[in-house]
This record gives sequence, structure tokens and C-alpha cells, in this order.
Amino acid sequence: MATVAPTRRAEAPGQPAGPRTRVRRSGDGVAGYLFLSPWILGILLLTIGPMLTSLYLSFTDYSLFTAPEWVGLDNYKRMFEDARWLKSVQVTTIYVAVAVPVKLAAALAVALLLNNKRKGQGFYRAAFYGPSLIGASVSLAIVWKALFTDDAVVDRALRVVGIHTGGWAGNPDFSLLMLVLLGAWQLGAPMVIFLAGLKQVPVELHEAAHVDGAGRWRRFRSITLPMISPVVFFNLLLETINSFQVFTSAYIVGGPNGSPAGTTLFYTIYLYDRGFSDFRMGYASAMAWMLLLGVGLITLFLFRTARGWVYYSGDKR
Amino acid sequence: MGVMKRFTTVLAAVSLVFAGAACGGDDEAESGPVTLRYSWWGNADRAALVQKAIDLFQTKNPNIKVTPSFQEFEAYWQKMATDTAGGNAPDVLQMDFAYLREYAERGVLYDLKKQEGENLNTGDLLEGLKGAGEVDGGLYAVPVAGNTWGYVYSPAAYSKAGVPEPKLGWTWNDYRAAMEKITKSTGGKMYGGGNYIGTYYNLEVQLRQEGKLLYTEDGKLGFDKPRLAKFFNEGKQLADAKIVLPVEKGVQIKPKFALEMDLIAGDLGWDNFMTRYAAATKTELKLGPVPSDNPAQLGQYLKPSMLMSVSAKSKHPEESAKLIDFFINDPGAGEILGANRGIPATNGQRAAVKLEGPFAAVAAYEESIKTQLEKAPPAPPKGAGTIEQAFIRISEELQYGRISVDQAVDQFFTEANETLES
Repeated sequence: MATVAPTRRAEAPGQPAGPRTRVRRSGDGVAGYLFLSPWILGILLLTIGPMLTSLYLSFTDYSLFTAPEWVGLDNYKRMFEDARWLKSVQVTTIYVAVAVPVKLAAALAVALLLNNKRKGQGFYRAAFYGPSLIGASVSLAIVWKALFTDDAVVDRALRVVGIHTGGWAGNPDFSLLMLVLLGAWQLGAPMVIFLAGLKQVPVELHEAAHVDGAGRWRRFRSITLPMISPVVFFNLLLETINSFQVFTSAYIVGGPNGSPAGTTLFYTIYLYDRGFSDFRMGYASAMAWMLLLGVGLITLFLFRTARGWVYYSGDKR
Repeated sequence: MGVMKRFTTVLAAVSLVFAGAACGGDDEAESGPVTLRYSWWGNADRAALVQKAIDLFQTKNPNIKVTPSFQEFEAYWQKMATDTAGGNAPDVLQMDFAYLREYAERGVLYDLKKQEGENLNTGDLLEGLKGAGEVDGGLYAVPVAGNTWGYVYSPAAYSKAGVPEPKLGWTWNDYRAAMEKITKSTGGKMYGGGNYIGTYYNLEVQLRQEGKLLYTEDGKLGFDKPRLAKFFNEGKQLADAKIVLPVEKGVQIKPKFALEMDLIAGDLGWDNFMTRYAAATKTELKLGPVPSDNPAQLGQYLKPSMLMSVSAKSKHPEESAKLIDFFINDPGAGEILGANRGIPATNGQRAAVKLEGPFAAVAAYEESIKTQLEKAPPAPPKGAGTIEQAFIRISEELQYGRISVDQAVDQFFTEANETLES
């Protein structure tokens, strides 16, 4: 490539060849880097630098106050003997496995409803998108917890239909479900992406199928779903990665101990607790890298399965 | 050449950005008055009082300016750890007994012995608090207030249930019986007690009544597995019989206290919390003695509820020492702060403070058991805060019935020993 490029340029009509162009181009390059410099600095100093530091720290015993001490793979080995670490992996995995499908299904359902033209469509879209604007806010988590305490709205409503669970915030069997619902309620982002995907589904296909006598469900299964499968895949990927990193809402509801009875001890919460309450930064760094590794593997796995079910129009299949 | 030129241009751009960023603070160096940064934990109520005290200090020391900042307890320590690690610790910081050794042994605190007798006078400290800020011969913190274990209760709840009010000499069995009677008489509308089993200091006071300690002098656990199993078993029985506030309720009301919400008739706790409860509820509350099976031994001591330290990196140790001296000795400061942080730590301030209502109750309570108070134990070992958290967490799982007493005991010892060894 490098040898071809200059010849091409020289051949280009109306372009003066030779060193002058070169100087100008390199000048453009500098200007480009200059404009990029805030971003470059950001990624170097605020992302890559800390990441490399944390990779180094993950092999050390580091208490924040004293210099880090090299311990090799100790932190990583210790994790597998740490009952709380295993617990946090379990809680997080269950959460991801339940919360992601629930949220995506809800987002898709809402998107399908909002896809039809009707009065006040803009209002409904805004109303459903609203909750995700206040996303990971502390106040929202506090309100959510209050809704799910003894004698609060949810408890009373459930009692009307004969379900006696008490406040979910204090019930280890329901505390995680409460957070799943909080996640699902904030379905705005995947919903908007689904909506965009639905707009791309050709109307002709639906019309043709309709003429052939296909019902609503059949059309959804055989036309809509395959046509939006890339969007489903994109949302699935994004939500999976996000769900592994849930923190704020869980911290507000369950605190650093994952109350009640450790059922909301998310991976990130345990990581934070180890690092900032117990001053075990080395261990916390190792945990962070394990999380990255785990999420990376799962993403890879999702990409593998995608070959089987994601359909890109233009594919010969 | 071209590469070099490009490189220098980028470098120039980078340094420009840095110069811009650095233009912020740090212009105090040459100007007249010294600025001290002072961090503490507490809530907005306390902030108003602290600010008043600081104003008074600044009028008395016009060449010193104090910029305070505060968080809630947990957030405070998280921020303090990061600030300290980043070399950005405040000049003066509030210290907790449980963290004192952690910070002192890591060399991040200034030895105040160097200021003693010059800018700092600790001679007037209460007998029980003298030496409480020392670690391995150095003075790394000065107590500004003290508190002790006590029993806060509602006399109305007691009389309604027909239970005599607690008085000196009541035993742990009396305490459990009283709780049971109160809970039964209200039909479970009000509970006799709070989170008995999840309160680490209930165990400590029992150990001390038996002549043992929570942590030995050399920083190990001062009790064995059977002793902890006994404590857990007693507590578990209370929880299972629903005599004390059920754990699911306790979890839901956090960060509030059950006494603030009239959910329980009384609870053991630090005596200065009386003032917090009293501010939140209309129910009349009283302070009574801690139960003991050994009448001659209450197992109590005056604990420094709050201390003040100076960062080893502070450029103004003299002025910092002056600020601490002001907080412990100045009668005006004592008057402003009252018993908000616990009863003042010096005789002079105790005399200066005009206490009313719940504050007076706390002072009277401490006065009533004055002769029984022992010397404070040495500052707890590194990781004591982590161990207390483990205790709270494990006892919660125990109350939920997720683990058995034996499992809880094993888990606690595994975690505590691992923390103490690291």
C-alpha cells in the first residue's frame, strides 16, 4: 500500500506533485491531532493509563497508603476460595440472565405498540422513554425501595389479590426481582432502537403475507423478528454488558453488604466494598479484570451464536 | 525531521492543556492568612454547629482560615482513603477509634506530641480519655468527645406492659424477660428490642463483664468460637421468637433507627444516640444502665466517640494543632457544639456546656456510672472496621435463617482472622 499511494497521487489530475503536497498534508495531520488532543489526552490519561495501572495493581497487595507489593497471581487464586466473591458472581449472573430478557421483551412490546400510528404518539413515546433519562439516579432508587417496603404501594396492591410477601426490600426471595423490575422499567434506550428497527421492516412483506392469509402472530414471527434480528442482537449485547455493571440502584437498595441476607451483593458492589471499605485495592483490581474477562467471553459467545439467528438483509440464506 | 516537528507541536499542545488545567487553585502559598482544610463526618444539623464554632475560631485567630467539608460516616472514610492515597489529605481530619491504628501505623498521621504544650494542651482531658489517641507511643489523635454504652428506652412502653423500669443491677436474663413481656403485651405491635444479635458492642460489653476483651493487646480476637456461638444462639432465639424487631423490618427502615420510629420499646447503644432519637420521635425516652450478670462489673468504658488528627503531609501543623486545641478546650466551642458529638472530652468544656433535655440526660447517665467506667482499651487493630461490617452482615444472614449458628461462627472467624493477618 505504502508504495502504491504516492504513485497514485502523482497520477491524479490537477494535483501538483512533489514535496509541497507532503508538507501541507503533514500540517493537516498536526492540526487534526491538535483538534483530537482533548480526546486523545482523555483516553490516555483517564482510560488507558488507569486501566494499565489497575492491571499492574491486580498482581499486587495494595492498601492505598503503602506502596504496592508484588504477589503474582495470588489475588486471582484467592477469588475462587472467597465465598463472598462466588456469591457475588452468582447474584450477578442470575440478575443478568433474568433482567436482560425481561427488559428486552418489555422494550420490544412497547416499541410494537408505539409503532402504530395513533393520536398522542409523541406523548406516549416520551412517557416510556422518560424513566431512562433519570437512569441511574440515586433518588429514583430511594423511591423504588420505598415503593417496595412493608405496607407500601406494591405490598398493598399484592395483598388485594391475595399475595402476602411483605415488603420486597426486606424479603430475600424477592429483593433481586425488585431490581429486575427497576431495570425493566427503564426500557427507553432499547425501545428507541427497536422502534428504529421496526421502521426499517418493508411494508410490502407484511402486505404480501397478509394477502396470503398470515395472522398477526405469524407475521411477527416470520417477518418482523427476522428483519429486526440485528437490532435485537445489538440490544442484547448492550444490555448484557450494562447489566453486569449495575451498581447505583443495588447500592442504594442493599448497601455494601447486599441486604437482605446478601441477595443483592452484585459483583460491582463487592468490588467497591473490597477496594474502598477494606482498602484492598489489589484484590479489587483483580476483580475488575476478572469482570472484564468474563464479560468479554460472554460477548464472544453471543457473537458466535449470532451467526445462527441474526439475519442481515442481503444475506444469501 | 517531520516526525520530530510533529512531536513537538503535539507536546506544545499537551503542555498548553495542562497549563490551562493547572490554573485552578494553589494560589494561597504566599498570601497572608493560612488556610486549613478540615474534614469531618456528620449531618446537616451538625454542619451548622461546626460552622458556628469555626467562625468563632476564625475571629479568635484572624490569620487562620478554615474550610470545612463533611460527609456521612461511610462515605467519609471512602473519600478519606482515596484522598490520603492521592496525597491530598486535609490538614485536620476527624478520626474514629476503629480507624486510628489503621491510619497511624501507615504513617499518614502527624505525631501531635511535637505540638503538645505549645499549640495543643491535652491536660484537661477526662481521666478515661487520656491516652486514647496514642498508638505505639505517638499521639496521633485527640479525643474531642466521649460516649459509652447505654440503654435507651421508652418508660411509657415499660409501664404499659407492667414491666418495672431497668435499674442498676438488672441482668441479661431480666433484659430478655422484659423484652419478651413487652412484645407479648402489645401483641407484636411494638417490639421489646432492636437488632440485639447484629450489634457488635453488645458482645463487647458482655465480654468485658466476664473480664475479657474484644481484641487482645496484640490485636487478635479476644474470644473463642464457643463464646460467639453462645451469643449468636441467645440472639437467634430472640429473633426466632419474634421478641426483637424482625430483621426484614430492620433492613427496610435503614438508614433510620427503630427507636426513631417508635417500633421498639428500647435498645442498647451508644448513649449519645439518645439525642438523635429524641430529636426524631415525640415519645419520651430515658437512658438506663446496661444489664450485667456481674453487678460489680458493668464492662463499660468511656470511648472516644470522635477524635481529631492532623495529616502527616500538612504544611501547617502548628495552626492545625491550634484548631484541635480550640475544639477541645475552648469553652465557647463547647457551648456551641453541646453534646452533639457526644459529651465534651475535657473537664473545662463539660463545665461550660449548659445541657438541656436529652443532652442533660446523657450527661447525667455518664455521671451516674462514672465510678464504674474503666480505662478505654487500646485502639482496635487494623481492619477492625471491616470485621465489624462482617459481624453485621453475618448476623443478618443468621437472622434470615440462611445459615446456621455454627456456620455463622465459622464464617466470622474465617473472615476476621483473614483480615487481622493481612
